Amino acid sequence: MTAIAVEPNPLREGLEQERVPDASCLVIFGASGDLTQRKLIPALYALAHDGLLPAGQTIIGFARPDYTDDAFRAAMREACEKHARTKPVDDAVWENFARGLFYQRGEFTDPEAYLRLRRRLEEFDKTRGTGGRRIYYLAVPPDFFAQISEFLGAEKMVGDPERDGPYTRVIIEKPFGHDLASARELNRVAVTTFRERQVFRIDHYLGKETVQNLLVLRFANGIFEPFWNRQYIDHVQLTVAESIGVEKRGSYFDSAGITRDIIQNHMLQLVSLVAMEPPVAFEANSVRDEKVKVLRALRELDDRVVRGQYVEGSVLGEPAAGYRSEEKVDPKSRTETYAAMRVFIDNWRWADVPFYIRAGKRLPKRVTDISIHFRPAPYPLFSRLGLKMSANVLAIRIQPDEGVSLKFDSKVPGPAVRTAPVSMEFRYATSFGAEPPEAYERLLLETMLGDATLFARRDEIETAWAWLDPLLKRWAANGDPNPYAAGTWGPEAADQLIERDGRKWRRP
Amino acid sequence: MNAGTDLKVDTNAIEKGLASLWRTDKSDEAITRAALWNVVAHTWTGEQQAQASDALARASESVPSRSIVVRSNPSGRASLSSWVSANCHLVGKNQQVCSEEVVIVADGNRVHHVAPLVSALLLPDMPVAVWWLGDLPSENETYVAPLLDPADRLIVDSREFNAPDDLALVGRIAEETTTAPADLNWVRLEEWRAATASLFDPAPMRERLRDLRHVKIVSGRGSFEFGSSAEGLLYVAWLKVQGDIEVAFELDCARSKPGIELIELRFADGTTATLTRDRERGVVIGGGDAHVLDCITRLQSRGLHDLIVRQLKRPEIDRVYVKSLRVARELADR
Repeated sequence: MTAIAVEPNPLREGLEQERVPDASCLVIFGASGDLTQRKLIPALYALAHDGLLPAGQTIIGFARPDYTDDAFRAAMREACEKHARTKPVDDAVWENFARGLFYQRGEFTDPEAYLRLRRRLEEFDKTRGTGGRRIYYLAVPPDFFAQISEFLGAEKMVGDPERDGPYTRVIIEKPFGHDLASARELNRVAVTTFRERQVFRIDHYLGKETVQNLLVLRFANGIFEPFWNRQYIDHVQLTVAESIGVEKRGSYFDSAGITRDIIQNHMLQLVSLVAMEPPVAFEANSVRDEKVKVLRALRELDDRVVRGQYVEGSVLGEPAAGYRSEEKVDPKSRTETYAAMRVFIDNWRWADVPFYIRAGKRLPKRVTDISIHFRPAPYPLFSRLGLKMSANVLAIRIQPDEGVSLKFDSKVPGPAVRTAPVSMEFRYATSFGAEPPEAYERLLLETMLGDATLFARRDEIETAWAWLDPLLKRWAANGDPNPYAAGTWGPEAADQLIERDGRKWRRP
Repeated sequence: MNAGTDLKVDTNAIEKGLASLWRTDKSDEAITRAALWNVVAHTWTGEQQAQASDALARASESVPSRSIVVRSNPSGRASLSSWVSANCHLVGKNQQVCSEEVVIVADGNRVHHVAPLVSALLLPDMPVAVWWLGDLPSENETYVAPLLDPADRLIVDSREFNAPDDLALVGRIAEETTTAPADLNWVRLEEWRAATASLFDPAPMRERLRDLRHVKIVSGRGSFEFGSSAEGLLYVAWLKVQGDIEVAFELDCARSKPGIELIELRFADGTTATLTRDRERGVVIGGGDAHVLDCITRLQSRGLHDLIVRQLKRPEIDRVYVKSLRVARELADR
C-alpha cells in the first residue's frame, strides 16, 4: 500500500471543521462492552453529527458475540439514543454514519479471526477509501493487550511508522498497569508490536475542555504566569470527589483502590499541568516533556498521607451502604476509597510549596476542583484596624459547572473601613452557552489526526508509578484505612493532615 | 431584575437606568450579568427594530452581550428617545444570566447624535459588532462611517443588498479600516462550503480539484435581485480563491424559496459531482461518479439569531471571507 502525498484540503481553511482527518478503519476490540456503547460510538456519532468525520470513515466492532452488521448497527443506534451528546439522533446523519459501521465476530485468541478481519479491512480500503490507515482501539482488559498486539503484528496489520505509508495507531485505556513493574511490562508489550509514537494512551481527563483551558489560562494570559511560583503562591489544593460508590466496578476497584484509579493518572495529570514550565511549543512532545519533568521532581512521600474507606452513611439525602457491603467487594477489604496527601515538587519554581491532593468516593458531591491559594499581602495594613483579611484564591472548576473564579477582599460600602471577600466568576455555561464536547470526542479526533498532545506518554506513566509504588507497598503491608461516613469529606485524619500546617481544605 | 420590560429613560441617563434594573431584583434566583460583546444593531424601520431586538434577545442565551438597537429615520421630525431592558435566561436550576438591551430611536437631524451616544454606551474592553440590517447606504458613507468608527466587526446580510456597490462598500471597509466585515450570507454558505470540502477530502478527489471546470448554482429569489445572487457569487469566489482555479459559472436564481438548492460541479473529463439540499431532512447530500464518496452535511438552523450567534462565536476576522469578498466584487461587476 503506498500513500499518496497530497496537500491538506484547501477548502477546509476557515471552516468550523477545519481539521478533518483522512478516512481510516477504526477497529474497536471489545465492541460488545460498556465503554463502546456508552462512550465510543456516541462520541464517534457526535463527530459525524458535527461534520468532523471524513466521508468513508469506517468503524469495525470486533468482539465475541454473534452479531450481524445490521444487528450491531441497531444496538449502537440504541446506545446513541441513550448516551449521545446531541439527542435525538438525527436520522440523516445516522444513516450515513451507519453505512460505515460494521461488525466482525471473533475471539481475541483466534488467529483466523485476525485473518478474516484483515481481509475485510483490505476490502474497505478499496470500497471506502480508507487507504490502509488503521486505528486499533483496545477497549479490553489489559490482560489481552499482549495477545491482540501479537496477532496484529503476526498478521502484518501494523504499518512501520519509519517507512512512508499509511499509518497504524493503537489506543489503550487505563489502567496502565497495577504498579511500576506491570506498567513497564505493558509498555514493553505495546512497543514490541508498535512504536511509541503509534501508541495513544487515553486519560479522558485530558480530553476535558477545562483541563485544556488550564494551559490557555496559564500560558495565553500575561497576568498569571508572573505570580505562578513559590514567591506568590502559598499552597495548591486539588480535589477529585465522587458522590457515587463503586457501582458495578466492585471487583476491579477492590483490587485497585482510589490511588491507582484516580491519583496515579487523573490527579497527577492535573498536578503536572498546574506545575509545568511553559512548553516551547504547543505540540505533543514539548508539552509532555514539561509534564514529565514535574513528575520527576515529585519528592518522595513522607508520613503526610491518609487513606480512608467509607462506611455506611448518607449521600445527597439517600442512605448509602458501606464499602465492604458493596457488590463484588471483599467484606474484609482494606482497599482505600479515599486518599489525601501532601506533595512537594522539588524544583526552582515550587520549592516548599505544598500541593494538597485528595480523591475519594462517596463524598458529599461530585466535583473536581483546583485552587491556587496566594500568600497574604506583605504588610498587614488593614489587619491593624482589626480586620480579618482572607487569602486570594484562584479556583479552577474542572467539573461540573466548569469555570474559573478569583476571590479577593473588597471594601464594604460605608463610612467605616470594613472588608469582605468577593468572588469574580467566569462560568463556561454563562459565557459560552453551548455544552462542551465530550472528552472522548476530542480524544478520538486527535488520534485520527495523529496529535498525541492530549495523551500520556510511556515515561509519564512509569514515572508516576515509580513515585507511588513505595506508598502502595507501605499501605499493603500496614493496617486498615481510616473509616469515614459516606457523605462526609473523608476521615478526620485528612483534616489533620492539612491543619497541622495551619491551613484548611477549601470547600469546593 | 425587570427582565423583558422596557423602561423609558432619558438619553443622558441610560447607564443609570441600566444600573437601576440590577438594583430592583426581588427574585430568589442568583443573577449573573454577562457580556462577551457589544452589539449595535442599526435599523431603518420599526419592523427591523423588532426583528433585531428579538434576534439579539435570543442570541444572548448563547453569546451574552450588551445590545444597543438603533432605529434611525432621517426624514422624520427631530427627536431622540431611549429605553432599557434586560434579557434573562436560566442556566442550570436557579441561576439567571442577564444581558442588557438599550433601544435608541432617532428621527430627523437627531440621527447624527446617535454615533456619539452609542459610543458612550459601549462596555469597556469588550469588542464591538455593528449589525447593519437592510441595505447598506453605499451612497451615504458619511452617515455610515461614524457609526462604524468603534466597530471591530461589521455584520451585514448581502441577501438584502440591492446593488454590487454594497459589496464594494463592504470590501472598502475591509481594506481601508480596522473593522472586520462579516456577512450573514457567508454564514448561510458555511454548510455548502463544508459539504464541498467533504467531497474533496479523499486524497484522489483533492487531486481533481484542479480539474474543476464549471459550477452551476441553483437558488431561489429573495426580495432583491442582486441579493438573490450574492450567495452564489460568494460561493464561486470562494472556490476560485481557495482552490486557486479558474472556473466558469452559471447562476440560476429562479426557485421560489431563497437560498441555494443545488450545486453541480463539472470536471474536465465531463464527470460531475452534485450537492443537493434536502429541506425535509435538513441536510446537504453530496455524491457523484464512482470517485466521489457520498457525504452528508447537516444544515444548521438558519434563524436570524442563529446566524448572529455563529458570527459572534467567531472571535477572529474571517480571512477567507475577506479574500472571497474581493473576488465576488469582481464577479459581480461582470
